[in-house]
Amino acid sequence: MLEETLVLFKNIRNPEYDKSLAGYKKSGGFKSLKKVFGMKPEDVVQEVKESGIRGRGGAGFPTGLKWSFMAKDTGKPSYLVANADESEPGTCKDRELMLKDPHLFLEGLMIGSYAIGCHHAYVYVRGEYFPSIKTLNSAVDELYADGLLGPNPLGSGFQLDITIHTGAGAYICGEESALLDSLEGKRGHPRVKPPFPAVSGFNACPTSVNNVETLACMPFILSDGGAEAFKSFGPQNNSGTHLVSLSGHVNRPGVYELRMDVNMKDIIYDIGGGIRNGKKLKGVIPGGSSSPVMTADEVDVLYNFDDLAKKGTMMGSAAMMVFDEDTDVVKLLHRITRFYAHESCGQCTPCREGTHWSRQIVRDFLSGNGSDEKLKLLNRVGGNMMGTTLCALGDAAAMPIQSFVKKFPDEFRKYYAIA
Amino acid sequence: MPVFQIDGEPVEYEPGEKVLSAALRSGKMIPHYCYHPGMSVVATCRMCLVDVIDMGNGRPAPKLQTACSMDATEGMKVETLNQKVEEGRKLVNEFLLVNHPLDCPICDQSGECTLQDYAFEYGSGKSEMDYSKRVNGWRDIGTFVALERNRCIQCSRCDRFTREITGTNEFGMFNRGHELTVDTYADRPMTNKFQGNMADICPVGAITEKEFRFKRRVWKLKKNHSICTGCSTGCNITIEHDRNEVFRLKPVENQNVNKWWLCDEGRLTYRLMNERKMRIHQPLGRVDGSLAGISWEEAYSAIAERVSELAPEPQAVLALTDTQASNEELFLLQKLLKDVFAADNVFCPLPKWEQSESDFFINTLITSDKTPNRAGALALQIQGDEKNERLTKTIENDLKVVFVLGNPFAADLDVQQKIKQAQLVVHLGVFYNAWSEIADVVLPGQYYSEKVGTYTNKQQRVQSTEIAVQPLRRTRPEWQILAELSQRLGQKNSFENVPQVFTAIAGETAAFSGLNFEKIAGLGIELTKKIKDNGKKIVSVQT
Repeated sequence: MLEETLVLFKNIRNPEYDKSLAGYKKSGGFKSLKKVFGMKPEDVVQEVKESGIRGRGGAGFPTGLKWSFMAKDTGKPSYLVANADESEPGTCKDRELMLKDPHLFLEGLMIGSYAIGCHHAYVYVRGEYFPSIKTLNSAVDELYADGLLGPNPLGSGFQLDITIHTGAGAYICGEESALLDSLEGKRGHPRVKPPFPAVSGFNACPTSVNNVETLACMPFILSDGGAEAFKSFGPQNNSGTHLVSLSGHVNRPGVYELRMDVNMKDIIYDIGGGIRNGKKLKGVIPGGSSSPVMTADEVDVLYNFDDLAKKGTMMGSAAMMVFDEDTDVVKLLHRITRFYAHESCGQCTPCREGTHWSRQIVRDFLSGNGSDEKLKLLNRVGGNMMGTTLCALGDAAAMPIQSFVKKFPDEFRKYYAIA
Repeated sequence: MPVFQIDGEPVEYEPGEKVLSAALRSGKMIPHYCYHPGMSVVATCRMCLVDVIDMGNGRPAPKLQTACSMDATEGMKVETLNQKVEEGRKLVNEFLLVNHPLDCPICDQSGECTLQDYAFEYGSGKSEMDYSKRVNGWRDIGTFVALERNRCIQCSRCDRFTREITGTNEFGMFNRGHELTVDTYADRPMTNKFQGNMADICPVGAITEKEFRFKRRVWKLKKNHSICTGCSTGCNITIEHDRNEVFRLKPVENQNVNKWWLCDEGRLTYRLMNERKMRIHQPLGRVDGSLAGISWEEAYSAIAERVSELAPEPQAVLALTDTQASNEELFLLQKLLKDVFAADNVFCPLPKWEQSESDFFINTLITSDKTPNRAGALALQIQGDEKNERLTKTIENDLKVVFVLGNPFAADLDVQQKIKQAQLVVHLGVFYNAWSEIADVVLPGQYYSEKVGTYTNKQQRVQSTEIAVQPLRRTRPEWQILAELSQRLGQKNSFENVPQVFTAIAGETAAFSGLNFEKIAGLGIELTKKIKDNGKKIVSVQT
């Protein structure tokens, strides 16, 4: 029987855990921060590099490397921004962390700030997460009251402020440069890269944008022997435990903390308790709505970045959406294309026009007007969005379209017009 | 300068420059919509896709890159014509046409629309889009321009224009996804004085000039380079006309003067080029107390006769001019008085004027001096001062012969009353005005769109105009009238065209020495020795 490996959820799975500052301290909190304040910032970055942690937001970029790219000696302040705008459909892991163990995440944020020399960190929280915003705000207040934030926490001579900023409900603001624009008070439009945020980010200063879960791993990584232990939780290049948001037609949906060397099949049938009502599995969207879909035959694979990439899909933000044999795949694709057509920021041509056009085509199928030509057209419109846009949203919209057409062509035939 | 390659040809670039900017500067065309050299790079239209086969380090770029945002590097090799690029352009064009109405026959931009051009050049020629298109509708957004949002391709040039060029921020993007539109904030009309530029930079027919809409198809327009004479900035323009009627003025890029821009006030001066009611159509002479049409020959001989009868002393001769006149006209007027009458009583009004200073360059285009050639008059040492003190003294003399060029001292009734007493008043002008009323002989001149002339702008840059439209049949350019008059009054000169007059100016005056008419054509040349202008006052403008 597959079980969870508790690193991030160590406190959350403890029924007696009190999420206040006192409770967090009692369960061993802020030990890592104290240790980090005794280290040089470069050594902290080095330690994070050694742990091999990859960003949990979706792209899987090594966090240590990201921090080491931060422009130095620019005469400008550096910023750390926590991306808590968890908006990829299916993903709900950051909410768990912020809501049930805010101090773990905030300690990680403080460690990250120390590592990159940031004196004012921001948390960009998704606007709809009202309870999380409330929890985070009170947690930050507790930290200020305790002297852990502000000037000279733990006698370190380091100064740090944290601001909780709420978004206004746009999916695109989860893209790091659009997030920074939004944080600056502008329209959330992705920026032209380069320059990358590490050179010119928030207010044109060097900025690192990191996912909540990534930062929440820091207290463990920086604890004694943490980096080595973290590495051992998964195969090479895919280290650590991660939070899997399991949803869809399984018996026990939820957020689970798993190692990276776990088989996807086991996640569905052991952790998730199998398919609801004893039905058969039809397919899985493995990493949030933007990842290419997998059929039931393909799920026998290790659930981590590299193994899924080998299968032609991606782990993304580790949001598994499972659907059973009764699911209408065309309706599912319509729901996804509708989402991207609604959430495209509209600034660049292929995504603005392509997301809407593909939605129109899928809708046409649903009203019974499908044909071979339209299926080909749908595939072509999706392909034309791929790799031609300014940010990754175009790709995100294109990948489900292309994979659905490729893997479930028969489902679309049901909607062909009767000649 | 360092060099990289486009399609195998070397292209120079400045360090930090982007591929598209360097390509355009060297005359290499890469299709684009959202890029404008005067504004920030957003890389959103995705039309300027190029294939970077070598990034300067021997490796190719993984996918097509937008030339507008790609830094040029030494040894870089870029291809703009291969199949991959063509396919990329084709798909971008297809996407742009998904929601763009195909109403070219009734669209005013048709003929100068980059979407039309590129669709023709790179598009596939057919559409697979068979759903209804997005409809956003027409908006009245300002005094000078109208917005047809259906035609918008969301390149955001207009949005960036009000943010980065005028700083007025009254225009922006609304909604998102395929519903993204441009509009003014809070439904208010725009108030900036440079709205016409938004019509210029709009690559499609979304923003069009109200003045020009539905008047003429653009491919019928003939274009001539000229200088806007609406104020002393001297913006470079093209006069666009058809069948001898001027339809609009468009700015021409001149980095030293107006960059890419032109103010709305300047654009509206095209109306004066078509003005016929107020024009003087033929020479007029005073017969029995009222003005009547006469021939040029009659006019000249009448003037010559009167002048020899009066045989005036130098101090009894006076010439007044405004600073609308070109350098040549001012010079010849001065020369006429000097050669024929040995007089130097040439006066022009030189009131104080204000030059605005601003963080936004475009605000400095508008000055309070609404004449094009104040600096030219100063360079030619035409007399005048803020309060016209010397003039008031001079007109106390017993005046015999007075020449008036244009409409100087239009509001100064005292001067006009005094000059009315003179024995002979000759008015040279384009438009009928108070001076024509009191003149004994009126000689019809030509507007600047009808003749060649050079003007010295506020930066003391000498720039020239071209003949754009046919002049009225019985008018003559003022420089020619002045040259002929001086011949009739006994002087020998052989000025047959403006370049000859200009050569004489360059030979005889210190300020213009060393200048050459051929070199002025195009972007103009600044005077080497700057003239001091005491009437200039700098005011700072906030937007």
